[in-house]
Formats: sequence, structure tokens, C-alpha cells
Amino acid sequence: MSKVETDFSGRFAVRRSSRWSELWRKEDWWAIWLGLGIVVIGLVLFAHGGSWRWVAVVPPKWTSLAQLGAHFADNWPRYVVQFLLWGAAFSVALTALGLKAREFLPAFAFVYLLSVAVIVLGQWDRANYYNLEPPLVALVLGLVIANVIGLPRWLDAGFRVEFYIKTGIVLLGATLPFTLIIWAGPIAIFQASIVSIVTFSVIYWVGLKLGLDRRLAATLGAGGAVCGVSAAIAIAGAVGAKKDDAPIAITLVILWAIVMIFVLPFVAHALHLPAGVAGAWIGTSEFADAAGFAAAQTYGGFAGQNSIAGNADQSVFAFTLMKVVGRDVWIGIWAFILAIVASTRWEKRALGRKANAAEIWWRFPKFVIGFIAASLLVTWVTSGYSLADFNKIVNPGLIAPIKDLRTWAFIFCFLSIGLTTRFREFARAGNKPFLAFSSGVAVNVVLGFILSAWVFASHWANLTQ
Amino acid sequence: MKGTCRACLHFRNDPAYLEAIFQGLNVMSSAWASVVAEDGLCLRHDRYLSAEASCPDFTAASSVTSDA
Repeated sequence: MSKVETDFSGRFAVRRSSRWSELWRKEDWWAIWLGLGIVVIGLVLFAHGGSWRWVAVVPPKWTSLAQLGAHFADNWPRYVVQFLLWGAAFSVALTALGLKAREFLPAFAFVYLLSVAVIVLGQWDRANYYNLEPPLVALVLGLVIANVIGLPRWLDAGFRVEFYIKTGIVLLGATLPFTLIIWAGPIAIFQASIVSIVTFSVIYWVGLKLGLDRRLAATLGAGGAVCGVSAAIAIAGAVGAKKDDAPIAITLVILWAIVMIFVLPFVAHALHLPAGVAGAWIGTSEFADAAGFAAAQTYGGFAGQNSIAGNADQSVFAFTLMKVVGRDVWIGIWAFILAIVASTRWEKRALGRKANAAEIWWRFPKFVIGFIAASLLVTWVTSGYSLADFNKIVNPGLIAPIKDLRTWAFIFCFLSIGLTTRFREFARAGNKPFLAFSSGVAVNVVLGFILSAWVFASHWANLTQ
Repeated sequence: MKGTCRACLHFRNDPAYLEAIFQGLNVMSSAWASVVAEDGLCLRHDRYLSAEASCPDFTAASSVTSDA
């Protein structure tokens, strides 16, 4: 019996969920409840002349330690309240998911203090000069702590990468006009579909040529083509992969995703790509939402300087449209199609089940519903304002505080990526899976660049204008 | 075939268990994510399967937690 089996003996490992229990048993739904809850409260406060502003405090730009010290001396209660609110909200959600709040809260306190330090560093007036972009600083800091210093395993309770990023994405929806989703969404879906189908085909074909099992090749292909680790684990289940297949895909996706967090923004910067174009390229060629947001937000920090056209929003919005709307939402369809293939052509008897179209819904990344709902809600409520009033009243009172809360959620996520990435614990991938996956990476990056920077360049460069 | 994996003694789909078995799953995804559905690990065949799958080796679990 393995150590994990021993650890879990005495408690039920099999859980049966009613269909409705998804609403409180799945992280995606809790990201919706938290994200939309913040947005709705923000709208109510705004309607009564209030705002999230007091709670949504962030360290200001600073040039001297004295200036920074004065800010914290004046504003420390705001940080305490913000920490307590985040901690309480996440604790309720994670407790419902079956995790322990008493383990989460100390770990989250650690994440929050590190996040304050990362944002403070990013606000230093010399930060750009030294390339101290907060997403990269958070990632590197987390990686160093996890791999050089080491942390006790129980602290993982506070490093919920996906929960933080999904909550942040729902908040991002509130700052992204719904009209932009309608206008840019179809191009994003078209571009992402081309790249996803080609990338999957390349990885799958190279994998088979190298002699990999079809189920492993499909798991690797989905990891590279659709939404990284999430796609790999979804397809592994849909096709009935071997126990070792998913860990191989997880290792390869994480390694390449971390490489791309650094490579894509700096190559785009060297090529002086406009912010929207770079965001679209990152959305096409990064492998996981969390990693992609780190890269896109990093590039957003370059925008408007050193001859990089555009603004930070364009980079993040283009990435979001491409990755979330263009790629993530199709995972259920990929799973359904591959389940049909696996159960009718690969091994009809071994899987013992028929593919069910309902799988498209059950595997649908539900947080996208929250993202769309937040966008629709805020766009509808603020549609009566003129542009001048929007900039003067709505933006500072409603949009900017939500944006700042989103920044916190994203920094929690970027830190958690580093803090949970323990290279020595990953499964060994092997040369053949590495070659198959890397072939897809190479094609994906080149094709993504051609489509983003040449074919649809003007579309992405002019996003939000 | 007598039942699906969901009710089988050999099937494990507790999210905490899956994250412990699949090192790195929590780095850029989560066992609590919707995309995972109710998939789990079959200890009998060392396969990662849908809870709807079934096979001749099905053995009813003595108890299965339910939050229905």
C-alpha cells in the first residue's frame, strides 16, 4: 500500500455528488459566488454613493522608503480588513470543498504578506528599469522558496492557484465591456480553433510515430492544445488513460508553461509587438490560464514604454479572449469527441461505457459563466453613462477598485504557482513524450505568432480602441 | 457488469486524494475543477477513468459518501 493510500485509509475516497451539489462541491462555482459577490456588492455600494475603494487598497508608486512607511502607517487597518475579508471568503469556500480552514488561514497569511512585498516592489519607481514585473517576481520568489528553502506540505492548503485565478477572471469580467467580447470573441474562437486543432494533431501524430500509447498521445495533445493541465486531466479521464499518463502530461505542461511565462513576453518585447498583439499571441501559445495571465500581465507592464504600443488592458483583454473564450470553453467538446473515439475504436470493452453528450456540460469550465455574467452585469448597469461620466464617476467608484482586487487575486495565484512547483517531485516524463509535446509547442508558438502578429494583427492591435 | 466505477471498492476520486497521487496537478489546475467531473483512479487496473465506466471486476464499496 502506497503512502498516499495509507494516509487516506479510514476515510472515504469515493464521493458521489448529486448533480446539484456541483454548486458547492466544485471550485469553479465558488469562484463565481466569490467573484460575482464582490461585483454585486460593488454595484450596490456604488448605487448608494459608496465603493470598495477603502478595502481595495494597494501600495502606491514610491520613490523612498520614508514615503512607503508613511503609506503603511496611515493605511495598515485597510490591509488588515482586506486580509480578513479575503481570508473569510476563501475559508468558507474551501471548507465547503472539504479542505480545512485552520490549515488554509496560516498559509494564506503567508501568501498575503508575500503578495504585499511583491506589489510594493512592483510599485518602486525603479522597478521597470530592473524588469521587476510583479508576476515574474512573484513566480521567481515562489520557485526559490519552494525549491531552495522548502516549505512544510500542510502550507499547500493556502496555495490554491486555480481558485485564485478563477476568482480573478470573474472579477476581470466586470472590467471588460461585454460589447468587446461580442466584437472580438468570434475572431478569438476562430484563431484559437485553428491553433488548437493543429497543435493537438501534431502532438498526437508525433506521439504515435514515436510509439506512444494513443491515450497518452491524446492526453499530451489536449494539454498542449486546449488548456494545459486541466485539459490533460480531463482527457485522461475521458479516454481512460493509464495511471502514469496524466502525471507525464502534467510535468511537461508545467515545465513548458513556466518557460513560456518568461520567453513570450521578452521575445514579444524584443519584436516591439503592440500590447494587444502580444496578448493574443500569449493567449494562443501559453498552456495554462494562470501561467498565461502571468505572461500577459507582465507584457501589460511593458506597454506604453520603450516603443511598445497600446496599454496594459489590451494585453490582458486579448489574452483573456483568446485563452478563456477561444480555448478553455471547448474542453468539454474535446472530451466528448475523444471519449467517443476511445470507447468505440480504441477499446470498446475495457472502458465499459458509452460517451455521453452531457459530458460537454459537466466538464465545462463554469467560471467562464461568472466571467461573462460579470461583464454583462456591469456593462448593462453602466450603459447609461456618457464616456466623460464613465471616466469621472464609474471608473474610480466601481471599476478601479474591482480591478485592484483582481490584482490581489492574480498575485496570490502567481505566488502560488511558484510555491507549489517542486521540480524534484514531478514525474519523469521520458524522452518520447517530451519530443512529442515539444513538437506541438514549436508549431503552436510559430503558428500563434503568424496569426496574431500578421494575419489578425490590426484586429488585436486596435482592441479596446 | 454489476455497477459503475463510482460505487466500486477499487475507485478513488476524492479530490484531495487525486492531488496527492498526481503530483503537480495543483500547480496549474485543481482536482476540484469542473473539468475533472467525477473521474478517478481505478486501483485494480491502474487506470484513470470516468465514474460512469464499468468492468467485470466491479466490487461494491461497503460505503460511498454521498452529499446528495
